[in-house]
Amino acid sequence: MNRLGRMAWGLVLWEILSGMALTLKTFFGPKATINYPYEKNPTGPRFKGEHALRRYPNGEERCIACKLCEAVCPAQAITIEAEPRDDGSRRTTRYDIDMTKCIYCGLCEEACPVDAIVEGPNFEFAAETREELLYDKAKLLDNGDRWEPELAKRLELDAPYR
Amino acid sequence: MAKVTVDGIEVEIANGSTVLQAAEAAGVEIPRFCYHERLSVAGNCRMCLVEIEKMPPRPQASCALPVSDGMVVHTDTEMVRKARRGVMEFLLINHPLDCPICDQGGECDLQDEAVSYGRDDSRYDEGKRAVAQLDWGPLVKTTMTRCIHCTRCIRFSTEVAGVSELGATARGESMQVGTYIQKALSSELSGNIIDLCPVGALTSKPYAFTARPWELRKTDSVDVLDAVGTNIRVDARGAEVLRILPRMNDDVNEEWLGDKSRFAVDGLKRRRLDRPWVRENGKLRAASWEEAFAAIAGRMKAVTPDRLGAITGDQCDVESMLALKEFFAALGSQNLDCRQDGAVFDASRRSFYLFNTTIAGIEEADALLIIGSNPRHEAPVLNARIRKRWLAGGFAAALIGTAHDLTYPAEQIGVGPDAITALLDGTHAFSATLEAAKAPMIILGAGVLARPDGAAIHAAAWQLALKYNMLSAEWHGFNVLHHAAARTGALDIGFLPGEGGKATSQMLQDGVDVLWLQGADELDVAAIGAKTFVIYQGHHGDAGAARADVILPGSAYTEKDGTYVSTEGRVQSGFLAVKAPGDAREDWRIIRALSAYMGHALPYDSLQDMRAHLAATYPLFAPANAFRRFAGTDTAAPAGDVSAMSDAPFVPVFETYYQTDAVSRASPTMAACIAAHAPVVAEAAE
Amino acid sequence: MSGFFQTDLGIVILTLLKSLALIVPLLIGVAYLTLFERKVMGAMQLRKGPNIVGPFGLWQPFADALKMLFKETIIPTGSDRLLFMIAPMITFGLAVVAWAVIPVSNHWAIANINVGILYLFAISSLGVYGIIIAGWASNSKYAFLGALRSAAQMVSYEVSMGFIIVTVLVCVGSLNLNDIVMAQRHFWFAIPLFPLFVIFFISGLAETNRAPFDLAEGESEIVAGFFVEYSAMSFALFFLGEYANMILISAMTTTLFLGGWLSPIPFVPFTMIPGVFWFLLKVLMCLFVFVWVRATLPRLRYDQLMALGWKVFLPITLVYLVAVAGVMEYFGWLPNA
Repeated sequence: MNRLGRMAWGLVLWEILSGMALTLKTFFGPKATINYPYEKNPTGPRFKGEHALRRYPNGEERCIACKLCEAVCPAQAITIEAEPRDDGSRRTTRYDIDMTKCIYCGLCEEACPVDAIVEGPNFEFAAETREELLYDKAKLLDNGDRWEPELAKRLELDAPYR
Repeated sequence: MAKVTVDGIEVEIANGSTVLQAAEAAGVEIPRFCYHERLSVAGNCRMCLVEIEKMPPRPQASCALPVSDGMVVHTDTEMVRKARRGVMEFLLINHPLDCPICDQGGECDLQDEAVSYGRDDSRYDEGKRAVAQLDWGPLVKTTMTRCIHCTRCIRFSTEVAGVSELGATARGESMQVGTYIQKALSSELSGNIIDLCPVGALTSKPYAFTARPWELRKTDSVDVLDAVGTNIRVDARGAEVLRILPRMNDDVNEEWLGDKSRFAVDGLKRRRLDRPWVRENGKLRAASWEEAFAAIAGRMKAVTPDRLGAITGDQCDVESMLALKEFFAALGSQNLDCRQDGAVFDASRRSFYLFNTTIAGIEEADALLIIGSNPRHEAPVLNARIRKRWLAGGFAAALIGTAHDLTYPAEQIGVGPDAITALLDGTHAFSATLEAAKAPMIILGAGVLARPDGAAIHAAAWQLALKYNMLSAEWHGFNVLHHAAARTGALDIGFLPGEGGKATSQMLQDGVDVLWLQGADELDVAAIGAKTFVIYQGHHGDAGAARADVILPGSAYTEKDGTYVSTEGRVQSGFLAVKAPGDAREDWRIIRALSAYMGHALPYDSLQDMRAHLAATYPLFAPANAFRRFAGTDTAAPAGDVSAMSDAPFVPVFETYYQTDAVSRASPTMAACIAAHAPVVAEAAE
Repeated sequence: MSGFFQTDLGIVILTLLKSLALIVPLLIGVAYLTLFERKVMGAMQLRKGPNIVGPFGLWQPFADALKMLFKETIIPTGSDRLLFMIAPMITFGLAVVAWAVIPVSNHWAIANINVGILYLFAISSLGVYGIIIAGWASNSKYAFLGALRSAAQMVSYEVSMGFIIVTVLVCVGSLNLNDIVMAQRHFWFAIPLFPLFVIFFISGLAETNRAPFDLAEGESEIVAGFFVEYSAMSFALFFLGEYANMILISAMTTTLFLGGWLSPIPFVPFTMIPGVFWFLLKVLMCLFVFVWVRATLPRLRYDQLMALGWKVFLPITLVYLVAVAGVMEYFGWLPNA
């Protein structure tokens, strides 16, 4: 009986029909698509997007060339060179991030003792050439200046959990 | 001997040793900041606390406590840990937590120990102590706020360097280390306090903020800026040598390194020859290797072999000198000389030109006669060894030549060869001292040999050694102190004029038509004949390159695997740390390539072949022939007429310590040192 | 004027015009079928589908076509150049030629021939040549494997399709497609022959290499099957061919089982509506099921595919043919008997 019954049941195509019923239900259901360039998902304060180098409110750059981010970076995407600035303070002469190597893990942000390197909310930095994704210090500082209000807000929101 | 049990491990150790040394012998690590095995015991950091059975139940400072037989030491009890945690907390009260901007970060003793004994937060809410920055000259950068008052730097400068410039003022929290009045450190060994400082209070000024220790590629090498053969570690990142640190070698440099050798690294990046050049119509133009070889081959084939000559410089490795020697032998030329200073003396036996006593052997000597040398400038690490011997007591030193502060008392008993004559006659006051000494030694400066009467003084010094019983089966007290790292190796492979060959002075003044200068910059370039075709093979655009008609870019000592022989005859090898810049190549390979180009291909293609050939030709370079001290049994004197000595006083070889060769002359740091010390020199001259 | 169309030249011109009137909407239909598929599949996967190019993405097919046109046609070095270029033309040409006999309304066919169903069957069997040639000419392992799979699969399912068609012919008594539709005036063959209708549709899926029988493409195992080496317009021809074949199978299903152009509701306001509308509506429904199946079912394993064709469909269709013929004979329902 069992085997015959299963064969007969199979001929009714029940599983296939129930599967098709499910897709049909979905067909009429609401859609999850976000109309991307015009609509965007909200991002949380820990979103790991494009990098930025921040400054203090008086305009002094935060980065002190401690190289902890360079050391912690698992993709070895960060390259730092440093020397004493004219006033004797420790500053970078070169701060490069190879965005094509970066895996956006956020360890640099966590390692930074002065909140200088951060990953901001921006994820729309696609470029036409590879070279444009090799960020230098000027580009990162420029990012920092551009996104500062949001970066400060994000750090403030995340501060209780750090 | 005392039997001591450390954490259950029983060790036997000499009486008078400290508990900390016993623990080290047992392989137990005890944290310390102020204790250093080559310095006196201070006992002021209190980090090395241990617990000892049958003693008052309180922690004991192991670095200052002598062992006694049957002592039972515990280094890992709860009491010890608690005590060390307490000490660490006290140390951190005033230590700024500025590790991210501190150059010591990553190689800091305090950081490492704080991982073991530090709290994760601070209970100290009060303001921290702040101390003004001090200017200690162009080499050492100070951040005295970070100082934990271990006094290692003070003890080093007082004991080892022998310049009592550093000291502490006030006490307790107000204690400050400084130079009392602001001045640059005047010691040639000042860089070592950077290594000694357990925190970031003293860091290297030229190296400031450039790299972290974990970024560096570490390569063992040998220093060539003096002839001591100091063992060094070359720290490089990418294609750039960033710093040089000493390596421990008790027989040579203990763990010290001269400032020039340590800080002249920035000279390796400047004024480099990174491509061949050929002189056309009186001006040098950049060329390819092919063009340079063509120019050389064309000229060399046009002259007879006896009109070809080669002079090697002060920093060449043995491999490249051997290649050059064999290349010239293949061409049929005998005109070779490694003594670019023009010295002519009998080098037929090794003991005639070596520092036979050896550096470690200095500690066995009890009387010293220095002839025409300033070891403090020519070999500061060796000088520190003499000072160490002097500190131990029962040691008399005398000096013939210009008076210097050698950091130990050395009586000036004459300025010229007449004092040697007096000593030979036994009429001099110092004769008695030498006579009474059991192990007297002579240090003959290599600069003396470059005098016209060099051979005579060489022979006279040997006579002195014979007369004062310096040559025996147990002792060899005759020493030549070279200041050129390549010289001993070159003499060992006989880079000297062959049968009928011309020496340096004869090759100059149109003595040859084609002159090959291998890194030779210290000779009188103006004396080279106007018609001489000069080939300069080297790494820096210095005097030799300026005169050259063809420049072949070679490698500096950090850029090649090279063998060097120190002034005491020690064969040591350095390894390639970074590649030579641009088109520059390893020197012996350049000669190998040119020899093939000219149809006299040398019989080695690889470094292994080269080394095997070297060891086969000169057995002393075979790895099996480890360094040996000579016994003074062969007393046959070197050639030289003692009576030919002139009356001219001995003059210093170097006017200054800091810039003596192509590398240090290209170094801005060394230039800054000269500028920093210039006023002092001027005052002394007045 | 009507006299002119009786002349030889007139007939040729008329036929050409008719063909044009069929092919142009067909091609546009194919183009929009791609959009239709993407939209329907999107909706079934919680997505919206293409919606950027034009209103509701309506210009998307043209954008795709332009893209295909401007791409470079790459001919692999090791390929047989002639066969390589001919293969997509065969596939596309056969897909279009088959349409000659499909009646979109009463007597509205380019050629209302008496052996219409035989012609259709023959043409659709030829389709395998395009695929075999493409796979062979590409000189690529993937393409060759895909072609072999595709050939075996199409041959297997044609057998049961043939029996199903024979069963329908037994019920109609004519090979003329117009007659087959007219025979369904009272009730559609889908009702008495329901199992055959289902099997025919499933075989249609297999015949057109559609999911869940798209093993010839099998992008996850053999990359893209027989047209892995094709690009640009030659690729587009395969694509057009496949979609034209889908429409053709839908039209055949409509004709054989769903009453062709006949109105499903046989009284006045609905019978007034032109047959073309009903025909297209039924074809569209079939196509929807095509896409629906693709959005729902995963791909079969190859042995399952063959087992289904030979061990399930073939016996069932055979038995059903004999049973239908027996019942018809017994009750004397056979037409023209």
